[in-house]
Amino acid sequence: MPLEQSDRYLAPHTVQEATQDAAGQGAAVLAGGTDLLPRWSKGVVKQPDALVSLKDVEGINGIARINGEVRVGALATMSEIASDPIIRDAAPVLANAAGRIACPQVRNRATIGGNLCNASPAADTAVPLILLDAVLDIAAWNGSSLTAREVPVTKFFKGPGATVLAPGELLTHIRFKPLAAGAYAAWDKFGTRPAMEIAVASVGVAVRLDGGTIVHARVGYGSVAPVPMRGRKAEVALMDRPLSAETIERCQAAARDEIAPITDVRASEGYRRDVVAVMLGRLLRNVES
Amino acid sequence: MSLVELAFVVNGESVTLSVPPFATLLDVLRDDLELTGTKYGCGEGECGACSVILDGKVVNACLVPALECEGAEVLTIEGLAFGGKMHPLQQAFVDHGAIQCGFCTPGMIMAAYALLEANPSPTEEDVKRGLEGNLCRCTGYRKIVDAVLSFAGGGA
Repeated sequence: MPLEQSDRYLAPHTVQEATQDAAGQGAAVLAGGTDLLPRWSKGVVKQPDALVSLKDVEGINGIARINGEVRVGALATMSEIASDPIIRDAAPVLANAAGRIACPQVRNRATIGGNLCNASPAADTAVPLILLDAVLDIAAWNGSSLTAREVPVTKFFKGPGATVLAPGELLTHIRFKPLAAGAYAAWDKFGTRPAMEIAVASVGVAVRLDGGTIVHARVGYGSVAPVPMRGRKAEVALMDRPLSAETIERCQAAARDEIAPITDVRASEGYRRDVVAVMLGRLLRNVES
Repeated sequence: MSLVELAFVVNGESVTLSVPPFATLLDVLRDDLELTGTKYGCGEGECGACSVILDGKVVNACLVPALECEGAEVLTIEGLAFGGKMHPLQQAFVDHGAIQCGFCTPGMIMAAYALLEANPSPTEEDVKRGLEGNLCRCTGYRKIVDAVLSFAGGGA
């Protein structure tokens, strides 16, 4: 029995078709669906006019090393990222974060592209990507050809639930260089239980020492600002200094000062400042040992 | 609303049906195929009561649009029993009293099944991690973990 093709569920096969479909009025792009479906499952938010499923789109899944970079397809799931040998070798900090999101059922569906495009301030993969200076590849259809632009992850988020993506723009890949030899990167999140928890706060740090002096520093925070945030002041507090107790204290003070947490159902503003300082101190002391 | 054709395999049987574009896999399993062993708990991926195996991976059926399953293979709790006999993992749950009200049980067993497929000899910590997405509001976790560990140890 042939059925009428639905104009409410579109399954494009190419990036070009997907960008054209996604540009349609009221269209929602569907990757893993773990953030998207709960929005309307309770009837609180109305269903989008159309779902643009990415499941059949070629070329935006998988994880590869290309030209000295790691390239992660937007459709790579959290389970894949957590166990992928390339990620575990080049950026174990990202594998760790992906493996601690939610639970197996969600990690098997949730994608890194979805985690970023959903633009939660608590997005667990965003902070490791900030540490890695990741770049996001964005495709769009300009009416006659496919265009591409790249955006640093630090410039991708505009606010809670908001990104720089225009309607019809599609995040296709996430790229970053492997951690430099001798660099140390770690990430941690805090919540009331290890699983199924939106972080009260998360913190990541990447440092490289040369002759006892910090010559490279990246700090990132989640759940403590309207967007996942790079800790530039905390980085300044670390740079060109030994990784001493005094440096760690300066870094903690800078972090406490530069984050902009709110009080909500999960924690108070002051508590979040304290938790960030404590987690940052623990991560930095782990570098020494 | 126009319906869309969906063809997939459920518990080893090919199924073709027409579904609304926004139906979830859980809607189709329970309402169309009458496989009500898979439970509707929270409907938003928090409780794990609707856990099923989709192409070898455990997922929350409430978070999967049915049309994403075109051509896929789904295994539900009804597909575990064979020849009128419970699967040994189901039997382990019975033997350990790992069932109180029973509502979480199908989801727990499917999550445990996926865990054991990937890791036949899990530690207690592995089991807890494997079941971290499944809530038991009777809080019978101890016996559930024991049941899974006993099966991992060669059967109850």
